[in-house]
Amino acid sequence: MNSTQKARSLTGTVAFIAAVGLALTGCTNTGTTAGNSSAPETQQTVQAASGPTCSLDQYKGKTIDLKNAIVGFSQSEKEDNPFRIAETQSVTDEAAKIGVKKFIKTNAQSTLSKQISDIQDLISQGAQVLIVAPLDSTGLEPALKAARAKNIPVITVDRKLDSGACSNYVSFLGSNFVQQGQRAADQLIKGTGGKGNVAVLLGASGNGVTTDRTSGFLDQMKAKAPDMKIVAQQTGNFDRATGQTVTEQLLQSNPGITAIYAENDEMGLGAQAAIIAAGKAPGKDIQIYSIDGTKNAVQQIVAGAYNGVIESNPRFGPLAFATLKSFLAGTPVGQGIVISDGEYDPSNAAQKVDSAF
Amino acid sequence: MTQGTLTFSLPRRGAALAVLQRYGVYIAIAVLLLYNLFFTPNFFALDNFRTQFVQVVPVLIVALGMALVIGTEGIDLSVGGVMALAAAVIPLYIGYGLIPVVILVILVGAFIGLVNGSLVALVGVQPIVATLSLMVAGRGLALLIANGQLKSVTDPGILAVGRGDLAGVPFSVIIAVILVFGVALLVNRTTFGKQLMAVGGSRRAAELSGLPVKRILLLTYVLCSSLAAVAGVIGTARLGASVPSTLGNLIELSAITAVVVGGTPLTGGQVRVIGTVAGALLLQFISATLIKHNVPDAYSQITQAVIILLAVYIQRGRTATK
Repeated sequence: MNSTQKARSLTGTVAFIAAVGLALTGCTNTGTTAGNSSAPETQQTVQAASGPTCSLDQYKGKTIDLKNAIVGFSQSEKEDNPFRIAETQSVTDEAAKIGVKKFIKTNAQSTLSKQISDIQDLISQGAQVLIVAPLDSTGLEPALKAARAKNIPVITVDRKLDSGACSNYVSFLGSNFVQQGQRAADQLIKGTGGKGNVAVLLGASGNGVTTDRTSGFLDQMKAKAPDMKIVAQQTGNFDRATGQTVTEQLLQSNPGITAIYAENDEMGLGAQAAIIAAGKAPGKDIQIYSIDGTKNAVQQIVAGAYNGVIESNPRFGPLAFATLKSFLAGTPVGQGIVISDGEYDPSNAAQKVDSAF
Repeated sequence: MTQGTLTFSLPRRGAALAVLQRYGVYIAIAVLLLYNLFFTPNFFALDNFRTQFVQVVPVLIVALGMALVIGTEGIDLSVGGVMALAAAVIPLYIGYGLIPVVILVILVGAFIGLVNGSLVALVGVQPIVATLSLMVAGRGLALLIANGQLKSVTDPGILAVGRGDLAGVPFSVIIAVILVFGVALLVNRTTFGKQLMAVGGSRRAAELSGLPVKRILLLTYVLCSSLAAVAGVIGTARLGASVPSTLGNLIELSAITAVVVGGTPLTGGQVRVIGTVAGALLLQFISATLIKHNVPDAYSQITQAVIILLAVYIQRGRTATK
């Protein structure tokens, strides 16, 4: 009797702390806001923005009407994966929706030097506003300086540049990759009850996204589930085939693996194929958690063969243009605008699968 | 006196080198297996060897074709592009059934080989340049066909190629064994095999002695690309998805390494089929060992590089004395 009361007050405290935590991080769990969950959930929402802002005066820009503007978009990587396809599509669609005078897009094909010349090309083609998905956190300075020299406002999306907010560029819009890793750990701990052996499929080595998603996950695991054992950390290169090959090897040498954390959906799906090949049931014998929110992975949650996906929302179009609009109208905008990503688990996957990309 | 010791020690070192050149890859495999026997849990389990053999199949099949091309003193960098093309074509035509789609994919591969071969044999482009352009073009075309998208492949026939087995032996391994025997017979027992090596030994001499050099080169590149197409089918089948953006990425490096480690000199004139099989298996066991011991990516890349350098260094003597 006494103990149940204690337990109840404990869960109450935990719930309270969790609620405060959510409010502090401004992490809107779209799953619980039942009212508008059928509405355009695919749209990005902003986490409580704090920190320095950037205004037109500070940037020394001039007022432009977006409708009469030439807008340039520099994409970093080949559009051969769902994230990039959805990102370019979103920016292109929003430009059409607003009805900008001219929309020019380029693709750097994963080459830094090409992205620099792409941006310079966009400027020489008369772009008055630029949206850039940087290939890396550094290296674009020559191109950004060229934009700066003409006072062209630059909004960067998805990958954060190391420095230069409100000087080389206006602001950054993107996910918090560390937080994505933490949330994946939370999902995994919840799904497994905090017990068992975990294998980690890392993204491409030397990539900032990999570093952040790894540290977020590992720190959270250490803090919240010290009993769980991380038995392996191997790169799967963000690639499905590599994820499959590596998982097959790991399952052979560590038959005790009970859960897999993959730093993108593709590797998670590769792990799923490996688990099937090993004669086990994915989602049940061995649980799978990953980050991205692609349709392929979310459909597997619906099918019961996958356990959780933290979203990394690629649809930057509406938010990028809205940010540009208020910036150009003279309203200060945040230098770093962190979006709040959704998440998929067996309780919401079926109803939210259409919002996956 | 110094001369005496020199003449005494030289043949011994030469003999050791010769043994390494001839059996180095087998010795390396034996050492690795021994290491794993003692230090890797569950390595000597039937299931584990099944996994290793299934995983090595695509690299092995590509390496077989690569060995033929290298035998003519050529190189084929376009094999990964061909695999990507295979991946892109499969979901489009799988509706017609497994056999038609496999034939079509091999024809697509053969066509790429024909382009490679024509550039090398008829136009006289250097193999590395000719196949480099098709390496890029092949994957580009594949992405164009697939519209950049990856697609799930659910046809039970093609999934069986990747995941099914016959009396416990995976189909993909059976296919690979048949191809190994086929290529070994071709190399060692047919006129074409002898002619191929003659072209690789000295193209000029082969031409002067009236061999149909151009036809031999064309056929060799066609064979290599067709084998790569088969590897593309197996890779796609195993994955249960068509992923033209990454399937076969950098496989040309693994294949070339397997061939060279297996004792086929890059200077042409020889093809070691069984050595190539051993080379591919060695690479597979190395990567398995590194993964199972949770070695970080950067170190495993360095380890692989050291092994390749070592193999090339040992082979150096052989090519010099050829």
